[in-house]
Amino acid sequence: MLVGGTFLTALLVLGATEWALDRAVGAQGRVVAPRFEVDPFWPKPLPNNWVLGETIGLGIDSQDHVWIVHRADRVNAIEGAADQNPPTAACCRKAPWVLEFDPAGNLVGHWGGPGQGYEWPASNHGIFVDYKDNVWIGGNDAKDSHILKFTKSGRFLMQFGRQGQSKGSNDTENFGRVAKIFVDPKENEAFVADGYGNKRVAVIDADSGKFKRYWGAYGNKPDDTNLGPYDPNAAPAQQFRTPVHCAELSNDGLVYVCDRPNDRIQVFRKDGTFVKEQFIAKRTLGDGSVWDIAFSKDPQQKYLYLADGKNEKIYVMDRESLQILTTFGDGGRQPGQFFAVHSIATDSKGNIFTTETYEGRRVQKFVYKGLAPVTRFDQGTVWPTPR
Amino acid sequence: MITTNQLLRCSISLAAGLTLTLIPVSAQRTTRAAEVPTFQVDPFWPRPLVNHWILGSVTGVAVDAQDHVWLVHRGMDSLTARTEAGLATNPPTAESCCAPAPYVLEFDSAGVLVNSWGGPGQGYEWPHTPAGIAVDGKGNVWIGGIFQMPAAMAGQSRPPTDAHVLKFTRGGKFLLQIGQAGKIEGSFSKTTLNQPAGFAIDTAANEVYVADGIANRRVVVFDSETGAYKRHWGAYGQPTSEAPVGTYDPDKPAEKQFNVVSCVDIARDGLVYVCDRRNDRIQAFKKDGTFVKEAFVSKSTLGEGSVWDIAFSNDPQQRFVYVADGSDQKVWVLRRDTLDVVSSVGAGGRWPGHFYGVGSLAVDSKGNVFTGETYEGKRVQKFLFKGLSAPAGGRQ
Repeated sequence: MLVGGTFLTALLVLGATEWALDRAVGAQGRVVAPRFEVDPFWPKPLPNNWVLGETIGLGIDSQDHVWIVHRADRVNAIEGAADQNPPTAACCRKAPWVLEFDPAGNLVGHWGGPGQGYEWPASNHGIFVDYKDNVWIGGNDAKDSHILKFTKSGRFLMQFGRQGQSKGSNDTENFGRVAKIFVDPKENEAFVADGYGNKRVAVIDADSGKFKRYWGAYGNKPDDTNLGPYDPNAAPAQQFRTPVHCAELSNDGLVYVCDRPNDRIQVFRKDGTFVKEQFIAKRTLGDGSVWDIAFSKDPQQKYLYLADGKNEKIYVMDRESLQILTTFGDGGRQPGQFFAVHSIATDSKGNIFTTETYEGRRVQKFVYKGLAPVTRFDQGTVWPTPR
Repeated sequence: MITTNQLLRCSISLAAGLTLTLIPVSAQRTTRAAEVPTFQVDPFWPRPLVNHWILGSVTGVAVDAQDHVWLVHRGMDSLTARTEAGLATNPPTAESCCAPAPYVLEFDSAGVLVNSWGGPGQGYEWPHTPAGIAVDGKGNVWIGGIFQMPAAMAGQSRPPTDAHVLKFTRGGKFLLQIGQAGKIEGSFSKTTLNQPAGFAIDTAANEVYVADGIANRRVVVFDSETGAYKRHWGAYGQPTSEAPVGTYDPDKPAEKQFNVVSCVDIARDGLVYVCDRRNDRIQAFKKDGTFVKEAFVSKSTLGEGSVWDIAFSNDPQQRFVYVADGSDQKVWVLRRDTLDVVSSVGAGGRWPGHFYGVGSLAVDSKGNVFTGETYEGKRVQKFLFKGLSAPAGGRQ
């Protein structure tokens, strides 16, 4: 019987090893991809009637602690009623800017905001915990042209660049509204997605901040000429379109850059040599489709996960071919749905975490459920099954 | 065997999910060691919408006789075109998401969307900002509206103020309109309304009670079949007044007028409960408008106030009143006899069981509570009734 046979095949594939799965794909044309289910109860409720503003950055450290940075100053007077003078209601108060959760979703640390010796960004953006357990934060306000580095407990360590000093995409002392940072443990270099003002990837020494190199789209010298709005029918732009929203380094030394409004990923070697590009949801206008990237946790990082805050989904891609295998997520305010899914990261168990900006304002966990045949290209909202 | 393991893992994770569904319920003010209703949020109700539809600000929730759950929301008017509704712009700016759902959605008790309708049509004026929904004993659906045209916009090509209510069949066929968009005659009018926000229907008496509303500050009763005026009253059952109402101050004597009448609900024993939202109070009346009693809820709340919507527990005596408080981001649980707060559910935030702008409330025949969130909450949530138990501090 056809249905029974299909079911049996599915069972066999589910029971096979990853190696056999790959063989099965080759033999039957069946696509296999990591599968996820949202955990609606992660994290635990915040204490102190705290609420989040635009949740604009996400990082995971070596202990699988989940770090987020949000824009506390964007909590309005209605939602932040308890912060008003006098308070207009018993709830709510803005949470501290940087929050650290343990793997169970308990809030275990919090800090952030203006302090002595550094310039807190006017609009913080992106958070990264490096291999030395230091925490990096960027900022995308018009005057944010700097990067901050703290210890995990929030003690200020370094500031690279000065606020309000950007001289454009060829400045080697300041940045231009940085979206995100990634530190390469092998070379102790920080790759900077730079950014909302500049149109480049910048690489600096992670300790001294000394500029080492930078490049634009296709490895070109960056040029700050206004490109106008993205047009999917035009020839591919020879420069990044702001914001350059991520620069993620894979274990095999490739740099994946989110060229967000251009709807494309560009891949480079560490030295800035262009390797390849891939367009995603190419007819997406405005904010664009390529917001943030994370990799699967197998040593080969076989899969790439791409967050699209405009189409409200996660693309599960084959990293080698950059082909989309399946997608999950949809618009909405329920678990597993998104409003402006902005940041994505994976923990050591392969679980995916996401944060949402604008009015999404939350962090969500998607539990890794192993490899499975793709039966629906667009999986929509991924809830635990069966119910 | 792998398959068995996977099934096992799945059931374990579901079981874990259920045990974690408890949300914090804090005992606010316990008059005696009485038992109170307890709840768990169901994060997977309703089922995901179809067609990449999303909700705007939810301004009304109701449950009908079949335990179907109805909501009305503000649609595109409350969505941000650039960031949120990329499929609804011209040209579309997104490839696959999102577009506003129809204004009126009907879910079955399992959370499956079974019908949707709403919007402008022949023979009636669809409100610019639909708000408030009720399903009467004959299965007909009532909808109000709360848009106020800014005074500076008068005469311009802006929508008129919502000053009317509409009645449809459950399938969305127009039946009756009371009032007329933009026609404002004040709180003594027998034919017009001003931003009506809620309803209660006395099916046996063929009467519809309208919470009227943002500006008229009264309860007004019409014949639910003909729309003919029956009676109206203001706070304490007094005649309505056009005099301006003062800004609420918890330290001043109680205000003699209503300040935003956002709900009206009739208990089985015939008492009519009114949300006097910005005055942080409930007032209860006989059906003829005779004042019975009042109670303040979260009296220190300023701004938009604490008493947004009301529903009753489903036991025969309706021993408890639930109050949606979109300022404090809670549902308060009150004893109906004393109107004392005995418990509360919820906290601020965007996760399941949290709220932003919880302003609508309804209860089904099993005692489950459904909430609607306006502002940027933009969702409906289900709280499973878990029976009565002693109120516990902290986690329930």
